Amino acid sequence: MDRGARAALQREMCRLADGDRAAFEPVFAALWPVLRAFAARALPVPAEAEDAAQCALIKVFSRAAEFDASREALPWALGIAAYECRTLRKARSRRREELRAPPEPADERTSEDAAIERDLVAAAAEVMRGLSVLDQETLLAAGRGERESSSTFRKRLERALARFRKQWRARHGAD
Amino acid sequence: MEPIELRHRARRAYELGRARLGAKAAGAALLIAAAAVALGRPPELTALLCAALAALVAALAFRGGASARAVTAGLAAGSGAMLLPLVLMTAGCSMFGPASMRFCVPACVVAGGVVGAALALLAAREEHGAREFLLAGIAVAAVTASFGCTLGGAAGVVGMALGTVAAGAPVWLAARAHR
Repeated sequence: MDRGARAALQREMCRLADGDRAAFEPVFAALWPVLRAFAARALPVPAEAEDAAQCALIKVFSRAAEFDASREALPWALGIAAYECRTLRKARSRRREELRAPPEPADERTSEDAAIERDLVAAAAEVMRGLSVLDQETLLAAGRGERESSSTFRKRLERALARFRKQWRARHGAD
Repeated sequence: MEPIELRHRARRAYELGRARLGAKAAGAALLIAAAAVALGRPPELTALLCAALAALVAALAFRGGASARAVTAGLAAGSGAMLLPLVLMTAGCSMFGPASMRFCVPACVVAGGVVGAALALLAAREEHGAREFLLAGIAVAAVTASFGCTLGGAAGVVGMALGTVAAGAPVWLAARAHR
């Protein structure tokens, strides 16, 4: 906007602030392209830039009655547009952060998990079959939660577990 | 949004902004009325005058132009004129008893004179719409001052109006001639 246009905008804005409704059209015609271009430079998405420019224009007219004639009209209007653009940018970055947030852990197990579990159960059953009947009964009782509180059972369970681990390592090479 | 719709919305926003300005002026009228009640004026009469003043200043501020600029000056001048008889009554009551009422009418005339002179000076400074400024300012100041001047009854209000014209007219004419 050249110096003459700025001076004309200042004059019309002062008239509008004073309540002269005839100044509405000249102010609208002068400000709309300027605010639109400003928003287009500030925001990369054209639709967002258009929204910001429209919001800024409405706010400029909403506050026109309180416009201080000692201030320059163009920087005042651009200040409002800059605020609108900043608000829109912040809202967009908030939306993006919400989209990026890690998803809640799913309760449903995948078929791969089920297959791994099946293999582990089969391997454990095979190792169990290599143990004595007493060891098998002890481990199964502990697995079901039917643990006796006696020290005999605890020692028997320790020994059965040690033998189970030994057999497991012998077959699969790891705990 | 279509440009025509945008223009309509912008126009509506502008008018709403002016209405907000009018509401602020009406709020100032309410404050002055509250002060008058606090200083002992009857609430019923004050409420009636306040409603008239609030409507007047809201309309003038919404309209804009010289009449809107006169609202602040009118309220300030009218508040001063309102306070003079109230202060005199408060002081007079303690000093002279019920007879102090006889000071009210002259006080209203003096207050009206000060209001008229002050508004005439301000109006003469206006480049455009000086008459509009003066008329609106006197109307606002008269209603505001009547919060206090009704102490002297209708005579108080008439006295204030006479004082306004008597002091305001020569000041106005002299200021215009000087320009």
